[in-house]
Amino acid sequence: MEQRGLYQRYLNRFGWLCVAPSVFLFSLFMAYPILSSLYYVTRRWKGMANSFIGLGNFARMARDKVFQAALGHNFLFMAVQIPLMVFLALALAALLNQRIKRFRGPLRLALFLPSVTSLVVVSVLFRVLLQANGFLNNVLIGAGAIREPIGWLNDAAWAKVTIILAMTWRWTGYNMVFFLVGMQSIDPEIYEAAEVDGAPRIRQFFRITIPLLVPVILFSAVTSTSGTMQLLDEPNILTWQGGPANATMTAALYIYRQAFFVNADFGYATALSYVVVLISGLFAYIQMRLLGDNARSAR
Amino acid sequence: MSVVRSWTPGRLASVAVLAAAAAISVFPFVWMVIGTTLNPNDVLRGILAPGRELASNWEKATGMYDLPTFLANSLKIALLTVALGLAVNGLAAFGFEKYPSKARDRVFGVLLLTLIIPQIAIVIPMFRMFAFFKLLNTHAAIVLPSIMSVFIIFFMRQNFKMFPTEIMEAARVDGASELSILLRIVLPSMQATFASAAIYLFLGQWNSYLWPLITILGDEMKTLPIAMASMMSAYTIEYGALMIIVCVSVLPVLLLFLTMQKQFVAGLLGSVK
Repeated sequence: MEQRGLYQRYLNRFGWLCVAPSVFLFSLFMAYPILSSLYYVTRRWKGMANSFIGLGNFARMARDKVFQAALGHNFLFMAVQIPLMVFLALALAALLNQRIKRFRGPLRLALFLPSVTSLVVVSVLFRVLLQANGFLNNVLIGAGAIREPIGWLNDAAWAKVTIILAMTWRWTGYNMVFFLVGMQSIDPEIYEAAEVDGAPRIRQFFRITIPLLVPVILFSAVTSTSGTMQLLDEPNILTWQGGPANATMTAALYIYRQAFFVNADFGYATALSYVVVLISGLFAYIQMRLLGDNARSAR
Repeated sequence: MSVVRSWTPGRLASVAVLAAAAAISVFPFVWMVIGTTLNPNDVLRGILAPGRELASNWEKATGMYDLPTFLANSLKIALLTVALGLAVNGLAAFGFEKYPSKARDRVFGVLLLTLIIPQIAIVIPMFRMFAFFKLLNTHAAIVLPSIMSVFIIFFMRQNFKMFPTEIMEAARVDGASELSILLRIVLPSMQATFASAAIYLFLGQWNSYLWPLITILGDEMKTLPIAMASMMSAYTIEYGALMIIVCVSVLPVLLLFLTMQKQFVAGLLGSVK
């Protein structure tokens, strides 16, 4: 009995030994930053010196039109890009999932290919493709489709379109693979039964495929939402520092610039990041509830 | 359902739509490879035939810009992150899963809670911390914070669940130590899991932008993404050389993907099963 207790204690100690390096790194690079942000958020930097201002950073935020607009851009990108991408990814997955065996492999490979590029590479490539004297404008003018170059990067409205196009190019194939895996795991007997009942293909898609895919679609919406909330690389490189004139400024990019560029105010930037954490948390909570409800109703 | 497949208009249309989407997906790759052989103006002009400037572009990429250094930096940082990340996270996942305890489960719960914290929210205290330790503008500053990944621990723990505990018990009876159980018995049978985790860690670090952008100041310390981004801020851009650097930065990921498609997708999709 005594010996068994000793052995259990030895196993328990080994367990702690295993997790110790991770817990140490976690404390240093996650727990400490989170806790110390409580200090930063109450302070205001001026040059190298900083002083206590309590909740003053949040009062300042209420008057900060650029930050509010930046948050608005995050929401705009979510509202337009995610549905567009989910629709395209679903459509492509459905087309791939038909009886076209010979072409499926190469087509799937080609459609997934954008996922191997980094966000920096996407931004660089699309900037060179879309700048005023860039590839696409030259081709369009050459073909006689337009007379004047389109301001893909210089026009406030077009710049937003450009960000959405670049994100859609990068992520559609990635999400398509999720959906395809989901579609292929649906029992073929369900479709055979529908076929016997004479349900046309389109009806089968909306009545069988889509409802069974809801958890996968929700999952991809969750990851895309949190990704879009953190959008930074594309507006910083592709449309250059959130330009033109902050038309593509996002919350994360604005925080980065407040902290490390514009006036190096770590306090204000921390307060801004609290808002982003709060919104991300809220979205995560709503989506978890949706996923949970869905799992329950599926049972 | 007929066994003989015929080209109905519907199937023809869907293959056409797929082919168009595939062309859009692949086009930037083709264009960037051709771009490496063109002079800067032709990259922009919309020429899709190979030119003769490859050698001079290569010279610029390695002379005007220091491509070999950027590549070496990126490789060193990514491979170090993979090696240390596999060891640290693999060990943690093993400890959390195979030595169950209430206290450790509570610790794991705390780790999971931080999954929703976006990176932008912690870079400021981290920057101050690395400044305090005088570690800014070092590669250690990039590697150290990315070794531990809650997501990887979670992903590997899920996979460790499938390893039967009875085998570990049997090895204990035979007198094997806990460490040798992990290294000799568990590890060899979990290679696919480690491969997926390695790919995930590699991609995350190879592509990382925000944190290196904040910590790296000197040209000689730059990684490929930072080098590409700063090329774009120059007044004149050598597009041919840029395309070479872009190709070099995409190539390892592409090779990884083509040779290990299954683990690659598992690594990307994580624990979706």
